[in-house]
Amino acid sequence: MILIISKNKEVTTDEVIKWLLVMDKKFIRVNEDEVFEIKVASKRIYLESHRNRFFLDEITSVWYRRGGLKFKQTSYKNPAIQTHMRETQHWLEDYVLKTLEAKKHINKQSNSHVNKLMVLEKAMQAGLDVPQYYLANNTADVALGETIVKPITGTPILNAIDGKANAMMYTTVIDEPEEQEFFPSFFQEKVEKDFEIRSFYLNGKTSSIAIISQNDEQTKTDYRKYNIQKPNRNIRYNLPKEVEEKIDLLMCSLDLNCGSIDFIKSGNKFYFLEINTIGQFLGLSEACNFSFDREIAAYL
Amino acid sequence: MNYFNLYSNILLTKGANRMLISDLQRRQSEIQALELYDIIEEFKTNSVEEVFSFYDDDSKEMVQEYLDFLLEKEYGFITTGDWDRNFAPLSLDYLDYNKISNLFIERNDLTIQPGLIQSIANLQIKHLVIYCGGNVSLSDFLKLEANFENSTVDSIEIFAPYHSEIDENFIQLLNKKAARIYNLVFFNCENEPFKAENAFKFDLLFSPQNLKISSCGKVSIDYFDTNITKVLEAINHNSCLNKKIGIDIHGNIKNCPAMPQSFGNINQNTLEQALTHPNFKDYWNLTKEEIETCKDCEFRNICTDCRAYTEQTHFNEQGLDISKPLKCGYNPYTNEWEEWSTNPLKYKAIEH
Repeated sequence: MILIISKNKEVTTDEVIKWLLVMDKKFIRVNEDEVFEIKVASKRIYLESHRNRFFLDEITSVWYRRGGLKFKQTSYKNPAIQTHMRETQHWLEDYVLKTLEAKKHINKQSNSHVNKLMVLEKAMQAGLDVPQYYLANNTADVALGETIVKPITGTPILNAIDGKANAMMYTTVIDEPEEQEFFPSFFQEKVEKDFEIRSFYLNGKTSSIAIISQNDEQTKTDYRKYNIQKPNRNIRYNLPKEVEEKIDLLMCSLDLNCGSIDFIKSGNKFYFLEINTIGQFLGLSEACNFSFDREIAAYL
Repeated sequence: MNYFNLYSNILLTKGANRMLISDLQRRQSEIQALELYDIIEEFKTNSVEEVFSFYDDDSKEMVQEYLDFLLEKEYGFITTGDWDRNFAPLSLDYLDYNKISNLFIERNDLTIQPGLIQSIANLQIKHLVIYCGGNVSLSDFLKLEANFENSTVDSIEIFAPYHSEIDENFIQLLNKKAARIYNLVFFNCENEPFKAENAFKFDLLFSPQNLKISSCGKVSIDYFDTNITKVLEAINHNSCLNKKIGIDIHGNIKNCPAMPQSFGNINQNTLEQALTHPNFKDYWNLTKEEIETCKDCEFRNICTDCRAYTEQTHFNEQGLDISKPLKCGYNPYTNEWEEWSTNPLKYKAIEH
């Protein structure tokens, strides 16, 4: 039995599940609106929510996609008992999560949300080229026109910023100085790119796609600013062997076995930008006929 | 030296006299001369300068124009020193997760028996097409929709005769309640009851034609579609019948209601049983490369095909009909389109 931890209406999960059905693999999908109780029957631990019920020992593999397992918390009036039961609950949850993560898996709930700053340090240790970067709270040392700014957060989206529409934090070139100090922000040397590369990594295997946007002012610094009239070219691309080996080293050092990785190709160099463990990759997969969804299903 | 690299999602289909350039990413195809095909082939094994040296001074201008065209259309790019060999070819494999993707039913009403609903669920069928010979009321439509609530069916297309109850109010109510109907065609409609603009969840058409099952199978440029999934399916399978199943007016289970061979009857057999018939999938892998005339046609990878109405001139060793679709007026040897039904050579097959 495969355990899938995801969210409602998550399209990548839906597509992988369609493949699991064809492959006759049994699965349980857990979404964000489920709260589990840890229970025991005949000395076997099982988890139960309003939708699902499964024994821990019947799970053979786990795909952590998004969200996470949530557990029901019970309150007790007596503070001493409350403290004791909190700890009891903590160790039970810890046991359940660690047992699940010890099984065959694709990514883990406990480390899937990566710290961009840590990842960059690890990438350099793995021998990948990384454009120079630093944190600053003013623009005094920022080389104008040659530096970009981007969020440190995992998601670039500001949900309903004006009460209605979402805002997107695109990677932007700094053209003018800011007089006031601001919150520590991430600055990075702007690399003149030939094109961008998006790699999909699954268990040691890297498949890459070149996103050729250089001809187009609109997508020059961030390919997510799509040009609908003339979309970027998305073309299958083979990274050099040594770059693929370094990706493998990096992913192993972060204990991740699945993710999307962004690069910029500039001359003979491949500059590492970031890893996205929970991003959407099916659009590029389909454009280049890769079937990443099928590969995930086959591995589980 | 400079080198021309063709993007791997640009598909060239060589026809008898012309070629088709299909941009699988931008979903466009265009017809070009065969000489461009030859030039692109030369660019694959020679530098740009070498290719120019193959041509005399007059022709060099033509080669330059073609090269400018390829770059302007972003069909490829130039590199210096060598081709960029890191650009990998596109895999032409076709993988999909459907056991059956498409069920085509011919009936006189919209009733679907519970056994058939169960089969649709078992086979995880996504698209349903119903040709209905009799009048359909609003409640018939809604009952049909209700049958597939919480099912794998995500789109339903219906062809039904127009009748006087169908007015704007009828369609408004249907629009409010229907979730899966995405295309609705009312035929035999002399006067449109109202102007059907794109105000509904589904496409709506009132057609004056008397549509029949035998109206299907027309091959026309209007139906060509440069969609990477459809093109890959066409390269590997039959673009009409792959993963399709049909039930005709008598309940016979077929590859399509208009095909002659029956693999059981829905009143006695299930769709699953019919699928296990050793010959059920015979046509699924018959590609255009094997069909007479079509194999020389530049449109073969974006074409819809039809195996029910053909010219019936050629059959392969397996007994499969490999003749050109009857309702195709295109001749790849002369590059002319003509009205297929007025061609005297086709009369014999129509009568059949």
